Formats: sequence, C-alpha cells, structure tokens
Amino acid sequence: MRPDKLRRLALPAALAGVILLLALAAPLLPLPDPVTQDINHRLAGVSPGHWLGQDEYGRDVLTRLIWGARVSLTVAFSATLIAAFAGTLLGILGGYFRGLVEIGTVRMAEIVLCFPPMLLALLVVTLLGPGAGTLIFTLAVLFTPTFARVAYAETLSVRALDYVTAQEALGARSGRILLRTLLPNIAPPLIVQVSLTVAAAMLLESGLSFLGLGVVPPDPSWGLMIRGARTTMEQAPLLLLWPCLALTGTVLVLNLLCDRLRNALDPGTGGKSRPGFLRRLAVLAGVAEQPEAVPGLLAVRNLTLEIQGPTGPVPVVRNVNITLAPGDTLAVVGESGSGKTLTGLAVMGLLPAAVRVTSGKILYTGRDGRTRDLLRLPERALRALRGRDLAMVFQDPASSLNPLLRVDTHLAEALRAHGQRQGIAARVVELLRNVGLPDPASRARSYPHELSGGQRQRVMIAAAIANHPRLLLADEPTTALDVTVQAQILDLLAALKRSEEGMGMVFVTHNLAVVAEIADRVAVMYAGEVVEEGPVAEVFAAPRHPYTAALIASTPEGDAERLSAIPGRVPQAWAMPEGCRFAPRCDHARAICTQVAPVLEAPAPGRATRCLRWKELA
Amino acid sequence: MLAYAARRLLVSLALVWVVATLVFMVIHIIPGDPAELLLAQGGVAPDPWLVTDLREKLGLDQPLMTQYWTYLGGLAQGNFGYSLLDDHSVADEIVLRLPRTLELVGAAALIALLVGLPLGVLAALRAGEMLDRVLSSLAALALSVPVFVVGTLIILVLAQNLRLIPAGGYVALAKDPLRHLGLLLMPAITIAVGLGAVVLRVTRASVLEVLERDHVRAAQARGVSVAAIIRRHVVRNALTPVVTVVALHLGALLGGTVLVEFVFNWPGVSGYLVRSVESRDYPEVMGIVLVISALFVLLNFVVDLLYAVIDPRVRHG
Repeated sequence: MRPDKLRRLALPAALAGVILLLALAAPLLPLPDPVTQDINHRLAGVSPGHWLGQDEYGRDVLTRLIWGARVSLTVAFSATLIAAFAGTLLGILGGYFRGLVEIGTVRMAEIVLCFPPMLLALLVVTLLGPGAGTLIFTLAVLFTPTFARVAYAETLSVRALDYVTAQEALGARSGRILLRTLLPNIAPPLIVQVSLTVAAAMLLESGLSFLGLGVVPPDPSWGLMIRGARTTMEQAPLLLLWPCLALTGTVLVLNLLCDRLRNALDPGTGGKSRPGFLRRLAVLAGVAEQPEAVPGLLAVRNLTLEIQGPTGPVPVVRNVNITLAPGDTLAVVGESGSGKTLTGLAVMGLLPAAVRVTSGKILYTGRDGRTRDLLRLPERALRALRGRDLAMVFQDPASSLNPLLRVDTHLAEALRAHGQRQGIAARVVELLRNVGLPDPASRARSYPHELSGGQRQRVMIAAAIANHPRLLLADEPTTALDVTVQAQILDLLAALKRSEEGMGMVFVTHNLAVVAEIADRVAVMYAGEVVEEGPVAEVFAAPRHPYTAALIASTPEGDAERLSAIPGRVPQAWAMPEGCRFAPRCDHARAICTQVAPVLEAPAPGRATRCLRWKELA
Repeated sequence: MLAYAARRLLVSLALVWVVATLVFMVIHIIPGDPAELLLAQGGVAPDPWLVTDLREKLGLDQPLMTQYWTYLGGLAQGNFGYSLLDDHSVADEIVLRLPRTLELVGAAALIALLVGLPLGVLAALRAGEMLDRVLSSLAALALSVPVFVVGTLIILVLAQNLRLIPAGGYVALAKDPLRHLGLLLMPAITIAVGLGAVVLRVTRASVLEVLERDHVRAAQARGVSVAAIIRRHVVRNALTPVVTVVALHLGALLGGTVLVEFVFNWPGVSGYLVRSVESRDYPEVMGIVLVISALFVLLNFVVDLLYAVIDPRVRHG
C-alpha cells in the first residue's frame, strides 16, 4: 500500500472512529437521560444544560443525537455483520461446490435482488411489526446477496488459479488450500463491501424510522428525530437541522472511507485520473512559419521527448533527425521501446499527455509550398492538417475503429472534417473498393465487429487516404494481423504508393523483412536515438552500426545460416548507460564506448551512423 | 434484434413469476403464525376469535398449494386481493395511483440524466482540475444525503422560510397543468439529487476510460473536431455503463419514491403503501410490493433493450 493512499485514508477513518466512539461511550458520558421528558421546556432553545436545546417533549437534543447514533449504528453494524457472514458463507459454498449447491445458495440469495430493497423491508415490517429486531433481520436479508456475490466471484477466481488446480491434481485436500488462498484474497473486497453496506443500512434504517416503521419511539434514532422535528419545523427549524446534519455527515464519512479504502486496496494507479487523448498538448513557443527552411516533405530536427519518471523527467526520444522527400518511403525500425512510435505520434501532434516535447522542430512543407514547424503550430491549424495532409494508420485495427459506428461513418467523418459535403456515400464506397474490400457497398453498412482483422485494417487505410494525404504514417500496420494477411496489407500499401502521386510514407516497424520490401530509406532507432540512417539497399548490404548488423543477423530471412538473437535488452529510459547506449549489448564495444556518447557521423553521402568505431568496423 | 428482445422478454416474465411466488412465500417463510403476528400489538396476545377470522380472510386455513393456485389465478385476472379494512379492491387503488408514481420516477430520471450526464462528461474532460474536484465533491455529498433529508430541507427552506413553493400536494394534470408540473418539480428534484450524482460519477469514470481508447486517437488522426469526437466517439461509447448503473439504481429509485411521496404528500402508490404498512393491511402491502417489483423487473427489460440500441454487438448476442 502506498503511503499517500494511506494518508488519504486517515481523515475519514479518524472521523468514523470518533463517531463510533461517541456512540459506544454514550452511557458513560455525562448526558441527561435520552427518553426523560420535560414538557415544561418543550422546544426550549440553547441553555447551559442543553447545548443544542430541547425537542418537542423537552428532551435534550444533544443526548438524543448521540444515543441516536448508538441505535442507528447498532442496527446498521449488526445487520451488516450478519449479512457479511451469511453472504460470504453462501458465496464460498456456491463457488466451491457449483452445480445444485450454487443454485441453492448464490442464486437463491440473488432472488432478493429482484425487489427494490425498501419495498421488501416494508413487506417484512408489515408482518413482524416495527422495531430494531425487525430492522436488523430485514436489513441482513437485503444485504446478504451482495456479499454472496463478492465471495462467489472470488472463490471462482481462486479456484482457477494455477497452483490451486495443481495442488488439487496432486490430491491435496482442496478445501483447506482453497480457504488458505481465498481468505487473503477475499478480505479487501469484503472490507470495502462492509463499509459500503453499513452506509446503505443506515440510510434504509433512518428512512424506515422516518416513516415511523423502523425504530419504535421513545428510543432515539436520527430518522425518528427528523420525523418528530418536521411537525414543529415552523417554531424550531434547528431541531430539524441537527439530526439531518448528523445523518448526512455520518453517511458521508462512511462513503468517503469506502472510496479511499477501495483506492488504497487497489494495486493499480489508485484512481488517479489520467486525462486521456483529448487533452490539448502544450504547443512549443515560437513561430510556426519557417520561410528560410529548405522545402522537402518532412524534416524532424533534433526532436527530444520526455516522460515524467519517478525521480524526474526522463528523455525517451533524444535528438532524433529524420528526413523524407515527397514520394519516398522511410522505414523506421527498432525494438519495442526504441521511441519509433512516439516519433510518429509527435509528427501528428497526438502524443499521450504523459509525454512532453522538450525541444526540436518538425518541419512540414504543405501543399502551398510553405514550410511550417508542426511543434509550434496552434492545435487548430494542426487539426486542419490531420487527416488531410497527414494521415496515420495504427497498429491494432480492432481497437482503432469505434465498435458502435458503422464502417461508412468512420470514412464519412474523415471526409466531412475536411470540408466535403456532397457525394460522400459514393466516395466512401469508392475508397473501400480502392483498398480491395470485397462488396464495398454492403461492407460500408456493416459494423467493425462484422469484419475480419485484415478487412478492418483496409478500412483504416481507406479512412487514412480519404483526403489524398501528402504524408502517410503507418505505425506497425501489420503487426496485429495474421501472417498471410500481413502480406496482403503490405501489397495494398505498396499499390497505394503508386496510385497516390507524391505521397510520402513513414513506415514504423520492428520487422526488417518488411523494410526491404516497401521502403526506399531506413532509419534504425535504438533506445530513443537514431543509430543509423541511409538507403535501404546500402544499409542492408553494408551496415555501419553494430546494432543494425545485429538486427539483420537476427532476421529469419535471407541466407543467414543461423539466427542470432541480440543478447541483453533495451535499457530502461531512466537507467540509460553513459556513452554509447548500445555498448552494454555490443560485441564490438571497447572501454571508450562506455565513456563517450557518439554523435551522428556521415560514413558516406546520404548515410549516418552513431557509432564511435564505424571506421574500424567497416 | 427481434429475437434478442423476445429472449429478454421471456426471461423477464419468468422473473416476474419468481417475484410473485416469493411475495406469496414471504408470509409462510416468516417464523410464527402470520395471523397472530399481524394482530399482535406490542406483545399482547390477540383475541383467538380475531385470529381465526383473519386466517380465514387471508385464506391461510387452506392447503398451501390451493392458496398458491388461487393467488396465481387471481393475479392472472388482475385481482390483487382486497383490503382487510374496507374490502375495496387493491387493483383499483393501484390503477388509480400507479401513473402518478411512474410520472414522478420518470421526471426524476429525466432531470438526473439531463444534469448528471453533461456534468459527468465535463468533469471527465477537466479531470484533475478545479471544476472536476468541485463537481466530484458535490456528487459525493449528494450521494450521502438521504432522500427524505433532501425533501424535508427543501420544504423547510423553500416552502417554510422563503414561501416560494407549496409544501407539497397534488393537482390532476387535466385540472391545472401548470400547477400540476409545479407540484411535481420539487419531489422529482428531490429524487434526482442522488440519482444525478450517481449518473455524474459513472459518466465521469466511463468517459475517462473511453478517452484512453485507441479509436479516439484514430478519430483525432482523421482531423475530426473535438466536439464531434466527444459526441460520436466518447459519449456514445461511455453510455453503456451509465445505463447499467441507472438500472442498478432503479430499485433504490422506486424505494426512494416511498419516502418522497410521504414527504411531499404525493398521492402515488408508495404513499398508499406506507399507510397500508401502518395499518398492517397485508393484502394491500402484498399487492403494491408485487406491482412495483414486477415493474422493476420490466424496467430492467427496457434497459436490456437499450443496450441493444446503443451497442450493435449486443444484438448479435
């Protein structure tokens, strides 16, 4: 449990403790008797002996508030504990034996859930008559099924655990193992459920007492006090306020306690809300227009991206430079975590909120021939480019399509977002036909879940090229697909390159075999840096960085006799080695490699490498 | 879609039967002689003659299965039994009062959704900021105030102190539509406070979750405007859990009407129920509980249909 979560738990826990203590200590406190009447002083105001005044029978209000807490909490706690015990037992039995026992326990208990709780309570009260005993019985019955459900679900999940199944297979007494595993697992959800149920029970109890069908007068209860004060609210409105405050305050404290308990017991992020994708990113300061820049298509210059690590900002992409000419295809290659996807997202201005651009430029030359820095372009202007000039195809087509919208809606909104108003339906069918979707007219009307993975990626590609983009970013577009489908999608992208005149493509992949097939140039990324760049044929024939060479050797294509995996793994962003980042895994590393960070050098025109020893190794 | 609806309807009807059977069973499950229990007044043993009489009146002297068949047969003909006090038909009273309760529930749900949904979306979009914290705290408070406290305080402040509204009551819609709606507003708002807070919380959590989904980013990459993304890709996808939670709270909502009708003197079926419980008129209580519980089940059926409308994947089951 993290300390900040525990700290947040302290306040509601302390308040709940105070309320509980007051209720428990009520008989010991120097208070007047809660039921003794004093008709002469009915509705009397505040006096030294009566800090909150006296009620309609002259009884002391403060005393009755504290004793009321005692009654309310006794009812709520007794009912909750009975329900927790009975429900947990039923749930464990049902989950352990399944079959008929499950029907007889969990499913039977769930029938209670068919009724609005208040009504079932009233039905029982009619039969048994009002009173604290009836209340406890009724509330216990009402809350048993929720506990049964919690226990049932936990039992089932524990039963499915590998080592429990294994122990059972070894013939161990499964009941005991189950209990030993189950109890620690079941405790957190049960604790949360208990505090939740106490609050709910208090609400029901006070409601019934308010109707005159719960706690029987003259016993004090907050619901009864509110009921009594209602009749005299013209003369003494404060009498109404105190029990209302006490009741609301107690329920609030319990609810707060429950919320924070749930947070504290949750091993995840602990309810810390993340802003999601729509949050505007800070635009870098400075002017976007770059009149003196050399026009090309895309030029990423010294791009550095940071995330907020546990000890401070950590660079995840450092000084990345990428250049793309119109009509060219650049493959960005690297292992997971090399920063290749983030670089692509930075171009689109779609970085996750946790990632911050610290420096660099992303120069893009638009249709008007003017070059702008996308990192300094206001969100509005950048959005006008997205989907029109810059398009992106994502890795997983299943999650990138909205499951609730038909295929044609996805395409139509891309067209509409950039001003098309007429002929949308026809254009949608045409696009789907262009990406090779069979029967495009009827496929346009189907939902994403009715398509295969490959068909979905075709739809994503169709949406991306809807407005004839000048730059298509494809982020591992075939990784989530079957091998046979991968080839088809690659063929489709290659065909689109021919039909969409002048469209440049950045193809992000970890698969070198794909690079050879589709790209003109390749940029190899490692640990957030570009380590080698150049024309595909040259780089493959004569790599100038040991990492590139190792990647080629580990590719199951070509005539390599045996596959060699690269030993070790990509260093974590917050534990980057000094000097060359690849040195710890490099066969050719020398002492100098771990001390001096290499800079990009040009081993030949149009090529770059970030290796200190490229000359010796060439 | 039709097959799905038919399947859900069958399940719901079966549940209504289960509910009816359970309501019938309660009087037999409770330990002790129900006739004696009903007549008991503060521990004093009731007159044996009265007990025999009541037993006969409730049909408790018949064999159990006979009682059950008579009961089910009566229900099939819309007969919910007769009041112990004045022999009037429980069904007639319910037919008269049920529409008023439904109107109240409908109005409350409408207000809760109209307020809770947009505020929930707003809180999610501003997650972590001041506005979000204020809204979330308000929701936590609203969730903790019992519905009868809200009602009582509304009456205390608005009716008693400021004299802005009448303290409750009812006028038929046909008689004076404006006054009818005026009187409907306060009890409806009272119920909507808690429900609206629930809607806000669930909407916020659900929208936050949807905001992280890939299809939102994909829509951004197509250049779709933020407003359109929120409408088409976020809110719609976030609706399913909202519907689920509202459905889960329908029970509490229907229970809440009992208290609110009592506080505001709204002559719905729930106020009638409280009176019946007070006079321990078992057939009346049984009839009302049965009708509202059956209604609860049928409302859940409507919710199941809503799922299918929202999410096309549900239709294919």
